[in-house]
Amino acid sequence: MKRRDFFKTSLAGAAAAMATTLEAGVTRQPIDNRKVSEIAFPEKRPMITYSDRPPLLESPRSTFAQAITPNDEFFVRWHMPEIPTHIDPSTFTIKVDGLVERELNITLDFLKDPANFEQVTVTSVLQCGGNSRSAFQPTAGGIQWGHGAMGCAKWKGVRLRDLLDQAGLKKDAEWIGFNGRDNAAYYETPNFVRELHLDELDDHVILAYEMNDEDLPYLNGFPLRLVIPGYYSDSWVKMLSNITVTNKYKKLFFMDVAYRVPDNDCECETPEKRAKNTKPITKMNVKSIIGYPVNNEVIQMKSHVVVRGVAFDDGHGIRDVLISVDGGKSWKPAILDKGAAGRYAFRAFSFAFKPMKYGKMTIMAKAINKIGQSQPLAQEIKWNHGGYKFNGIDVVTVQVV
Amino acid sequence: MKKILLLATLTLAPLFAQVEGDIEVPYIPFEVKMGKGFDAVNANCLTCHSFGYVTNQGPQSKSFWRKKVQKMIVHFKAPITKEDADTVTEYLFEEYGNGEQ
Repeated sequence: MKRRDFFKTSLAGAAAAMATTLEAGVTRQPIDNRKVSEIAFPEKRPMITYSDRPPLLESPRSTFAQAITPNDEFFVRWHMPEIPTHIDPSTFTIKVDGLVERELNITLDFLKDPANFEQVTVTSVLQCGGNSRSAFQPTAGGIQWGHGAMGCAKWKGVRLRDLLDQAGLKKDAEWIGFNGRDNAAYYETPNFVRELHLDELDDHVILAYEMNDEDLPYLNGFPLRLVIPGYYSDSWVKMLSNITVTNKYKKLFFMDVAYRVPDNDCECETPEKRAKNTKPITKMNVKSIIGYPVNNEVIQMKSHVVVRGVAFDDGHGIRDVLISVDGGKSWKPAILDKGAAGRYAFRAFSFAFKPMKYGKMTIMAKAINKIGQSQPLAQEIKWNHGGYKFNGIDVVTVQVV
Repeated sequence: MKKILLLATLTLAPLFAQVEGDIEVPYIPFEVKMGKGFDAVNANCLTCHSFGYVTNQGPQSKSFWRKKVQKMIVHFKAPITKEDADTVTEYLFEEYGNGEQ
């Protein structure tokens, strides 16, 4: 209880927002150190594997000791089991229809030609709304991810806005629907469609064909995917094939039933009393993860240890990452990278220290963004039934010998 | 006594990503508990997704599993009979339940 009291006094702003009494759910650190599979998927090194159909792969914690997540270690999450067995990039087309002046049906080559579209890049974090879900108790519905349902890559493609300009939006255009090439086993199953309101559209929203200077990996949406920096990955439609402009919002399962949190200040509820009103998960909250050392790592007494990790938010930008090596009693600022990759990217941090006591020790990381939002302690995070948006202060326990 | 068997009912799904050569997504033999009602799980659930997708939801209450089965019927339009829905729910709760109704 002492540690909790300390936080309530030292983090007045953050604590005030979170200081409600503990209810049914007691949130903890997510399940960590899951075994990496012995079986590698196409274009991937072996990863934590939850399902082969649809493919669900998690990056191990050690991935997050660097600011860019390698393509072959980047997490994978599909919803539909029928992913095309053959994509020919020379004939693949993207269709733009609905409330447009000119329907487009254009090839990848046309899209990649600078004569037709300005080619742009954005470095951005991609994170599943259910990342770290295994922190929630009672167990929330969904795959019990650890911290690795996220990654950061440099995405190259064309602006969605430029594409829509070429099609020419009609006056009453309001919603843009996105669909990909993955399909369900049954014809009647709704497609994994995402709708974006025109107001949500800015120049950072792109259709990407490259990830970290390579073609998109098959399992990350080859040959083309939607990139919406700052938003959770349920919006980033993979293997994008259709863009349909409408004037009316069409009710959709994944936006209207799944991927929602309680529409209240704490975005929380209890299993006994579920919130009546919910809202879609959209923008990501501030979060940091330690990539080195990992849990149970053995480090040497009085050696020079450099803690490394990444921090991010929805695009406000990271101001500070604070590190504690004494169980949360004291905090010191980590060194941040220069932020050259932009406000949507992982901000890499490092923190050097010398362990001076034998035995178990905890290392904690807490990110604060430029508008002062910071991470609460895991146990201060209130439950929601989907286990979405966990962003508790990261804790790694190591052994000093 | 419950037997743990490796499930091998699904065939390899060949997938193709890069320009050159076929790529296959591997089949992962997730551990399956052979309990009462597994045949219904095999027939109704594993047509669409792997067994890992089920077990990686964590241990859950009976009402959780019932709602998941209903979600498959209502939202994903899986043609599951009422009888099979009950059988599947019982199996999931028996083998992957948390003891709570």
